[in-house]
Amino acid sequence: MTTKLSRDKMLSVLPSLLIILIAVVLISIILLATGANPILFFMNLFKGSFGTKRGLINTISKAVPICLSAFAVALANKVGVFNIGVEGQLVFGALGSAIAGIYLQELPAIIHVPLALFGGILFGMLYAYLPTWMYIKQQANLMVVFIMMNNLAKLFSTFVIIALIQDPASMVTASQPIQKSAYLPMIMTSPGKLNISVFILIAVAILIYVFFYKTVYGYEMTACGVNGEAADYSGINTRKYIKWALILGGALAGLAGAIEVQGTYFKLYDGFSPGYGFDGIPIALLSNNNPLFMMVGSLLFAALRVGSNTTQIEQGISGEIVTVIQGILVTLIACEYFIRYIAKRSMTRKKGRRMTI
Amino acid sequence: MSKVILLTLTVSLLRLTVPIMTMALGNMFCERAGIMNLGAEGMMIAGAFGAVVGTYFTGNPWLGVLTAVLCSMIVSGIHSLISVEFGGIQNISGLGLNMLSAGLTSFLCRSIFNTGITPSVASIQTAGFFKNIPVIGHFLSQFSPLAYISVVVIFVSWFIMSKTVLGMHIVAVGDDPKAAETAGINVWRLRHFCVTVLCGALAGLAGAYLSIGQLSFFMEDMTAGKGMLAVIAVKMGRWNTKYVVAMALLFGFFDALQAQLQINNVLHIAPELIQTIPYLAGIITMLLSSRSKDNPRALRVPYVKNKYII
Amino acid sequence: MEYAVEMRGITMQFPAVRANDNVDFSVLKGEIHALVGENGAGKSTLMNILYGLYSPTAGEVYVNGRKTEFHSALDAIQAGIGMVHQHFMLIPRMTVAENVVLGAEPRKNRLYDRKQAGKEVEQLSAQYDFSLPARAIVRDISLGMQQRVEIAKALYRKADIIILDEPTAVLTPQEIDELGNMLQQLKSIGKTIIIITHKMKEIMDFSDRITVLRAGKKVITVNTEETDANQITEYMVGREVHLGQGRKSYSQEEVMLEFQNVSYQDKVKNVSFKLKKGEILGIAGIDNSGQKEITELAAGILTPDSGKIIHNGMEVKIYSAKEIKESGTGFVPQDRHRHGLVLGMSVEDNLLLGYQRLAEFRNKKVFLNRKAVSDNAIDKIKNYDIRPTDRTVLTGKLSGGNQQKVVVARESSRAKRMIIADQPSRGVDIGATELIYQIFSDACKKGESVLLSSLELDEILAVTDRIMVVAEGWVTGVVDSSKTTRTEIGMMMVNSASKQEVAE
Repeated sequence: MTTKLSRDKMLSVLPSLLIILIAVVLISIILLATGANPILFFMNLFKGSFGTKRGLINTISKAVPICLSAFAVALANKVGVFNIGVEGQLVFGALGSAIAGIYLQELPAIIHVPLALFGGILFGMLYAYLPTWMYIKQQANLMVVFIMMNNLAKLFSTFVIIALIQDPASMVTASQPIQKSAYLPMIMTSPGKLNISVFILIAVAILIYVFFYKTVYGYEMTACGVNGEAADYSGINTRKYIKWALILGGALAGLAGAIEVQGTYFKLYDGFSPGYGFDGIPIALLSNNNPLFMMVGSLLFAALRVGSNTTQIEQGISGEIVTVIQGILVTLIACEYFIRYIAKRSMTRKKGRRMTI
Repeated sequence: MSKVILLTLTVSLLRLTVPIMTMALGNMFCERAGIMNLGAEGMMIAGAFGAVVGTYFTGNPWLGVLTAVLCSMIVSGIHSLISVEFGGIQNISGLGLNMLSAGLTSFLCRSIFNTGITPSVASIQTAGFFKNIPVIGHFLSQFSPLAYISVVVIFVSWFIMSKTVLGMHIVAVGDDPKAAETAGINVWRLRHFCVTVLCGALAGLAGAYLSIGQLSFFMEDMTAGKGMLAVIAVKMGRWNTKYVVAMALLFGFFDALQAQLQINNVLHIAPELIQTIPYLAGIITMLLSSRSKDNPRALRVPYVKNKYII
Repeated sequence: MEYAVEMRGITMQFPAVRANDNVDFSVLKGEIHALVGENGAGKSTLMNILYGLYSPTAGEVYVNGRKTEFHSALDAIQAGIGMVHQHFMLIPRMTVAENVVLGAEPRKNRLYDRKQAGKEVEQLSAQYDFSLPARAIVRDISLGMQQRVEIAKALYRKADIIILDEPTAVLTPQEIDELGNMLQQLKSIGKTIIIITHKMKEIMDFSDRITVLRAGKKVITVNTEETDANQITEYMVGREVHLGQGRKSYSQEEVMLEFQNVSYQDKVKNVSFKLKKGEILGIAGIDNSGQKEITELAAGILTPDSGKIIHNGMEVKIYSAKEIKESGTGFVPQDRHRHGLVLGMSVEDNLLLGYQRLAEFRNKKVFLNRKAVSDNAIDKIKNYDIRPTDRTVLTGKLSGGNQQKVVVARESSRAKRMIIADQPSRGVDIGATELIYQIFSDACKKGESVLLSSLELDEILAVTDRIMVVAEGWVTGVVDSSKTTRTEIGMMMVNSASKQEVAE
């Protein structure tokens, strides 16, 4: 039985590894086409992200909001829907946290920090609510609504910054700074900046792990995700799970946004997120919703983001390359069925049996 | 409202409807054949970029249009490969292609031109040869020849879907691919044609219009949600040419309203909020409609050749 | 005598299963040949190869003496082969004429020649006495009429060899007779007919020769006149079948389930009946007469528009699958793939589905007690003969019969009062079917009741105490199984608008 288990496990991981491999090849081709050296590219990525102590700490720090976004996407995947509105929920959540951080004054940090975080969570949940409602009540195309909401969030956030909370002294479009009492406590500031959000992330990861794999609810969610109709017939309340998966996903995304405001920037910058919400999508899909794999994947993506600064400086490669990588991964994930078919065929082909296919 | 503003609004409406409408028609063929295309934005932006690059290197905007169509067809070709041939998840393929196309066009733009906006190239914003027609000549010449091509596309689309055998086959393939296969129709060849050629070419036309039909340059993310509005227009238009065009006009109206308010801000609303108008229009339209029974019954369901079944 | 079709040494290997194993199959010109076998024997696969939908792993196909290699249905159509599938291949939103000519439409300069199509369809209709309404939309016409459209499609493409796959599944006994006449008529004008079926009556009544397949292999080919139903059954199954033989009735007076004037949309109309403790009540009728909805209403999946449903003396106020399940009702749904099982999960997890909230599987209220889950699985696999015996195997890999055993094992073992089963033997081999009906019988012995819906009239007659017949949503009659006949039930299956009886 152990051989079968490990065979099945291998079969489930193989497609993801294959996808990553193909992505690396494709990126290299694109880089070559624009005259850049792909080997140097990957080396610079590594150098910038893991090569120095400072880089490593920064990478870990950046991995937090990315990982929370991935968790949000994974939560929805588990019940069989796609939450691609994480980016919008993240931005909107940041707005909530910023407002709580700026305007609530004279509060001790021990109250202000969680309160502002909660502001982010609340705004994230609210932002996920309308699309969820439209999906459940009207069977609207969830992905289309989420994409619209993402665009709206960015515009709305810019509007609020400029119209209501702008910092006139700042050179770029940004809000006023938040109160010091809302700052996330730091673990270290040198060689790199790291705050307690890492612990928050680990706590959430453990919670998710236990929830998915050890509880009755995790079992029911899995059933919903694999065959929602059968789950319905067996008495599981699929609609409730879908609703909560999406709204809690919004909560996680909002938390990610709040963490960035309260832990990294200490104010709300216009366009502060280079697409953390979108990073979550390929990470969750490739990890098959496994929290451990998602944490690893987030680290890799964070390395991509941090390292791309180095590649920009050293090789002049535009930071947009990260979006290109996102796109390649997601597109490849769409062919998963076929890739799994190839993987399966190569594993089950026995000698002597001719297959005319 | 003064006559001048009304006229400007109408011209603006017609101008801005064109890309949404052309893309929507392309999506209509795609979805009618059973393939969901969320990658409309990606196809359009590939076309927009291709148009500028083609014009930049050849000096001829019509060659730019050709490049645009080719670029869009590459994107739609990938979508077709994944969705039709491999039986992949269509929504994710569309989403991924959006991300990839947006990222790649930005990346290439910056790599070649060093900024997010290309320099100006030759464009085809007006149809000069109408100028000499009396009375309406001046009005007609304000529109790009690409817009007129799009109008022709409307009639061709309607014709294909309602009068030809091709149209019947497209409907059959989108409703029940197995029934079509057993009747002797090559489901995959037809679907590939609808996605790669029909949808891709129209996306290229729409994209080219955006960059060299309305303006004369390419800018990052210049599609600004128009592709998504095209997707919504197809569903709200119940996959029927007439209604799809009507929905596209509706969205064009909101787009024109938004553009007009930015120039002439009578209501003194913040510019960002004005920019939200088309997106809000999209969402509100979706809110007001209910599940349609007209949808192609096999939409989004992958249909793999028997030899690929595990 | 010439052969219309010769298939030699056909083997079809799918990744998980060998559907056809070195099968030789020949059909004489102008005969009606029955290809029979129980579910999963490989009949449909063999004919799909003949029709060009599959490419065989090995073997050769000869049509009218010439070797052929079909790569698509179009190739087969051009060779004169037509196929009428079990599930109709029609486009509901199109008209009858459009469906008939699909793929070979008459054209006028690249345009669809609607007039010509209508004319040709009417011609065809007159020629074969079909009375097809050329301009009607397919989704509005009856199933029997739809089948005729399917046959017309094959004839329109000038098929000389016509394959019919399980044609009688959706027909009333009268329509089945009409079909038989039509087949004779086609035979008389020289058509060759291959009919795939597992229904004994059609096999014996319609065919000239019979070929039996079992587990992918060919067993025998015989002339119909030289054999009988029992012998064919033995060939199909490999042994004698004892479905419901020696059955005792455990029926008691107490009422377990009662429907009072229940209506649901236009599927269930004013239905009333009583299910007694310890009895097996069968629901008979042609497909889509409301049986599915009746079982789903009883299981709490659907909520009636009007009327009352009473479980064990208590009227149901809130319809929830969960609550009714918790009150001791097990439900084996009609579509086990969509509604009964989560194919992507293991057998162990599927044996838990719906019952995961029970105290025995919970650990401190929130956690799942994995040991209890696997113990449950091991127990069920043993007692219900589920194969393969590995509880961690993905359920999608099991055969139809074993999948159904998983569902039945799960539902019947937990049901304390009642089991509702909708077409439990569909797509299931005879061995599993026997086991399933034995389980139901044992349940009755313990004082439970069974509500059983099935399209297989022979099975219903053999295993039930009473039979309730439905037609178009109405109950048209309730009879004692041991005292009724196929004909009597057949008449009730069509007699809808008449008086409906209350089952006592």
